Amino acid sequence: MELPPIALQIILNFSIGLIVTISLNLEVGFLGIPQFGRLLAVIAGAIVAAAVPGRILAAFMGLPWGAEYAYHLYNFGIVAKINEVLASSPALSIGIFFLTLILAAAIGGVIGYLCAYPALRLREAYLGITLLAFGDLLMNIAWNYDPLVGGTTGVWVIDPFRFVGTGGTRFTFSALLILTIAIAVFLHAELLARSPYGRTLKAIRDAEIAASVYGKDIVKMRAHTLIIGGAIAALAGALWALFTGSMKANTYTRLTWTFWPWAFMMLGGTGNNLGVLLGVLLYTVARTVIILYKGALTAIIPIEPEWLEYIMIGLVIIIIALFRPQGIIPEKPVLTLPKSKIKTIAESLKEYQ
Amino acid sequence: MLDLIIKAVAYSSCIGIGAAAITLIYNTTRTFNFAHASMVSWGMYMVFTCTYLLSLTPYHSLPLAALFGSLLGLAIYITVNRRLLKVKAREITLMMSTLGADLVLYGFLNVFSDYLLKVYRLPAKYFVLETYDVFIRFGDTAIRLIGLVTPTLLALIVVLLHMFLTRTKLGIAMRASIENPELAELSGINIEMTYILAWLIGGALAGLSGGLLSLVITGYTAVGMTIVVSFFAGSIVGGLYSLYGSMFGGFLVGLSEYLGVALLSSIVGGWIYAYKPAIPLAIMAATLLIKPEGLAALLRGGRS
Repeated sequence: MELPPIALQIILNFSIGLIVTISLNLEVGFLGIPQFGRLLAVIAGAIVAAAVPGRILAAFMGLPWGAEYAYHLYNFGIVAKINEVLASSPALSIGIFFLTLILAAAIGGVIGYLCAYPALRLREAYLGITLLAFGDLLMNIAWNYDPLVGGTTGVWVIDPFRFVGTGGTRFTFSALLILTIAIAVFLHAELLARSPYGRTLKAIRDAEIAASVYGKDIVKMRAHTLIIGGAIAALAGALWALFTGSMKANTYTRLTWTFWPWAFMMLGGTGNNLGVLLGVLLYTVARTVIILYKGALTAIIPIEPEWLEYIMIGLVIIIIALFRPQGIIPEKPVLTLPKSKIKTIAESLKEYQ
Repeated sequence: MLDLIIKAVAYSSCIGIGAAAITLIYNTTRTFNFAHASMVSWGMYMVFTCTYLLSLTPYHSLPLAALFGSLLGLAIYITVNRRLLKVKAREITLMMSTLGADLVLYGFLNVFSDYLLKVYRLPAKYFVLETYDVFIRFGDTAIRLIGLVTPTLLALIVVLLHMFLTRTKLGIAMRASIENPELAELSGINIEMTYILAWLIGGALAGLSGGLLSLVITGYTAVGMTIVVSFFAGSIVGGLYSLYGSMFGGFLVGLSEYLGVALLSSIVGGWIYAYKPAIPLAIMAATLLIKPEGLAALLRGGRS
């Protein structure tokens, strides 16, 4: 089965966007941290995917795996050899795929934990700018330090999807797999929001002092949430690198991996996972429509579609901030139990009255 | 070496001027202005356009760049910031709204540069105006005018702002409304006027610093997004609450980017040059983590 490229693009952009935005929403919507450094965990995940599994396999296969692995003259050959092996061994491919995801999530979690330090000391604008600086800093290091991920030349990333076939089949399979993971992440975040944990987060966000009076450990909750958020964001970075098959640090900008997810989140509804899903979906579809009708559009408005996209996102952010700060689907108190169950409880209580 | 120092001084002064704009707007309106990036780029493009189309020298185009910057500031205030300040929006919302404004400005800047390229066949994607600079001779050495103009302007702005904030009624009213908006409003100060003023002056400073930068670095549409971190760093190193601190901080950050790297490279080797953009980031992160009150607190002898 093969899906047309345009459908693949929608599925992929939607899935990756959803994962990143869900992780952002967890920190911004539930915890109230101005996370302007989403890029940090995302690019860390991408670096893990580009640098680690390939090196492990290269070491086992007796290929160079040190600094020369990322050197642009060797890298393509090494990765091509690894991919040949991966193509013939589904078990190894699946194993290395999940290993990559686990490693990326672990690194993302560590980064989230490290971010907890400034998150406790600084507030609002200060914190936002610090996190933004961290993200750009890591991007800058990856862009310049060649032995890590090839610096300015970038590296090829091993392809754990090769075993299903090449070309369209491979892309269809991997896009659907990523969609599945995105849905799983969404469900996880939704369960988290409905759990006592999610309610505690919202309590801390809305009334920090009151929450601590009721014995909630705010420091620990903050650190936990940042760890989960970082892990999920790193997952998105790793998946993106694995899907595209290459990693170049400067394609990971704060614009695409921090500010756009912010726009999706604000559009859909901050603090509401379903809203986030809607925001990402709306944007992905709008973008694809713009690309599809590029020719017709430039005939009406003499603007390159690329710039139109910036203007559109900018306007969305402004309009949402001005007129509907709660987003399309405003945050609602979550029902932790099914409605029928609440009804039976209410009825059983009546007997005591 | 002299060339490098002149370039470093010019660049640092530009960063100082721009950092003051961020601090001024943040203090008066609680808005951390992300749109600063595109305002600086627009300033650069104004100088570029005037130089090529009106055949002015870059120096004569500077007032236009500043004027355009202040118009952009005013536009952002009227369309976005005003309403949000009225409903007492959170700092994060204020920040995000300026980010939206930044993206819109960036989009239109690209449209504008496409237009210049297609209609006037100007090299509007990448341009270097350094060649338009004038050399001034001191005996045997020739110094580029920009190396003298920028620090002079920085000093002039410090003096003018100081005069304005301490000697004029409007300036004192502005300081009062920064210190305590409610009290200022009660004593009859038109607080909205101070907001407008902050955006006008801040915009002018952003446009001016962009215009000056066009003589120092290569111009392209995303240039503001690339160097905006240096402005943020300058403002934060200065303490985010002190105008003079932010100018000084911006100057220091700029210097460390050029001279600091040159110094480091003589110690650790030339590879450090690649990490030049990381320097303002590292300085900023370090300041925020170690001493968030910034230089201003140090200058005042520790009390913040």
